[in-house]
Amino acid sequence: MKDPATQVSRRGLMKNLIATDRPKRYAMVIDTRRCIGCQACTVACKSENDVPLGESRSWVETIEKGNFPDVGRSFLPRLCNQCEKPGCVSVCPTGATYTRKEDGVVAINKEICIGCKYCILACPYGVRYLDPKTGSVDKCDFCLHRIEKGVVPACVNTCQGAARIFGDINDPSSAAAKMLETNSVSVLRHEMGTEPMVFYIGADHSDERYAERTGVYVRVETHRRQQKRV
Amino acid sequence: MLEIHWGLPVIIYLFLGGLGAGAGVVSASVFLRSHAGDASEGAFDIARWGALIAPIPVIAGTGALVFELGSFAVGDMFRWINLFLTINLSPMSLGSWFLALFIGVSLCYAYTFLKSDAHSGDKHQAFRKMLAWVMVPLGIGVALYTGILLGAMPARPFWNSPILAMLFLISALSTGVASILLVRCVAHALGHKKADEYTGEGAQGTEESKYILAATDMLLISFEVLVVFLFIMYAHLTIGGVENAIDVILGGSLTSLFWFGFVVIGLIIPILIEMKYVLPRLLRQEHYSIPHAVELAACMLVIVGGFMLRYVVVIAGQLTGPVGI
Repeated sequence: MKDPATQVSRRGLMKNLIATDRPKRYAMVIDTRRCIGCQACTVACKSENDVPLGESRSWVETIEKGNFPDVGRSFLPRLCNQCEKPGCVSVCPTGATYTRKEDGVVAINKEICIGCKYCILACPYGVRYLDPKTGSVDKCDFCLHRIEKGVVPACVNTCQGAARIFGDINDPSSAAAKMLETNSVSVLRHEMGTEPMVFYIGADHSDERYAERTGVYVRVETHRRQQKRV
Repeated sequence: MLEIHWGLPVIIYLFLGGLGAGAGVVSASVFLRSHAGDASEGAFDIARWGALIAPIPVIAGTGALVFELGSFAVGDMFRWINLFLTINLSPMSLGSWFLALFIGVSLCYAYTFLKSDAHSGDKHQAFRKMLAWVMVPLGIGVALYTGILLGAMPARPFWNSPILAMLFLISALSTGVASILLVRCVAHALGHKKADEYTGEGAQGTEESKYILAATDMLLISFEVLVVFLFIMYAHLTIGGVENAIDVILGGSLTSLFWFGFVVIGLIIPILIEMKYVLPRLLRQEHYSIPHAVELAACMLVIVGGFMLRYVVVIAGQLTGPVGI
């Protein structure tokens, strides 16, 4: 059954799709069915990373839909997707933002970044912001200072419903790898071809165009300064 | 509506950088075309004005650009040097190097024309000719990269079009021609070198060179109209993000600014004016003459249109993003 010549496992397929030469490949699986929209991750992230007022590295969007009495409400936690093909890295003129060879995390060297904001515009997920204190661009880096010490990111640590599962998917025994093997997952804006490393279980992808098409009432609340969903 | 991250400094830079690069390319091309100024005094005069104009807007635009830098805003005046400590395939990195080379070369090129009695046989001639050969590819590079810079982002469907760079290049050349005509017109009016001071062949040469510039501008604007048409048509024929993004100029917040501010003021009116004076000469070999005031007005409209194009494109690209989630 495990014969690689006859059986293409989902893991094997995935390994071919993503860069296999990395010792580790950190990813996050978000089980939106377990998310209660408490914003504990938003707050934990802000305090852990000293995120300036008005900006956020991670946030939880609320999607309200339906016409009374058939209504639903779901949550969509957002963060940097740590893309395999990041649009931000290819446009950075100074090489300040880069994909880490050892684990695939997209990180920023704040000493080098000149704050040209090219990457902010190039990110299809709107996760980047200019830090008014340093003049450099910043974003979620899976709490690099924590994961390098073997501790999970602050948002994962604080999540009340255990909706966020973090791990190295190159390691088949990690919780994240197991979640990917046993669940149907989706990513955000897969048509952009960025190949995100943040996967969602049961995410509601409805938006205003869906509402227009179906006649179903949809209201999206981003809970961040940028009111329109990026 | 999404947030605006690149504001007026970037718009001003894209406009001035294109204008300066365009003026440089036109100057060097006219210079080389006229056998390094030997063939016609008028051509040398155009090349001279183009060369003197070119570095000024490019330097001013680049200067404006640092005000958009986050590092500059927090008082770190020189962190932008990091741009020049590396080179990669980012359009901004390549563009910065092109820009730095262009500024250097165009300053040298302008220097060779600086003296008011500069002429095609003086001691700078060999150097000037060599620089002119470098000015053409560098100028095209600078003008072209401003469009590639915006077009490189799939996340911005309005900009993510291969024809945007072409549009910016043509607009840069067109505003470059207009700026040369404008400055020459103003300088002559101020009495630097009155057009009627030329005698015999000289006077004809001036008229002839003015005709060539106006005819070139007419041709450039007609290509620009064509490119604008292709840009909008293909966007409209697409579905999804691009179609959604183009709506911002086809029935959104920037519609009137685009159609009136750019298409009518910057393209249609100037091309009609130029056609009125250029076509009789082009079709029936009649004498070319255009009143100063009309020439000035047409040039100013072209330049205003060039600015409007950059303004609308830069803002529209940021207001719109990918659709769906």
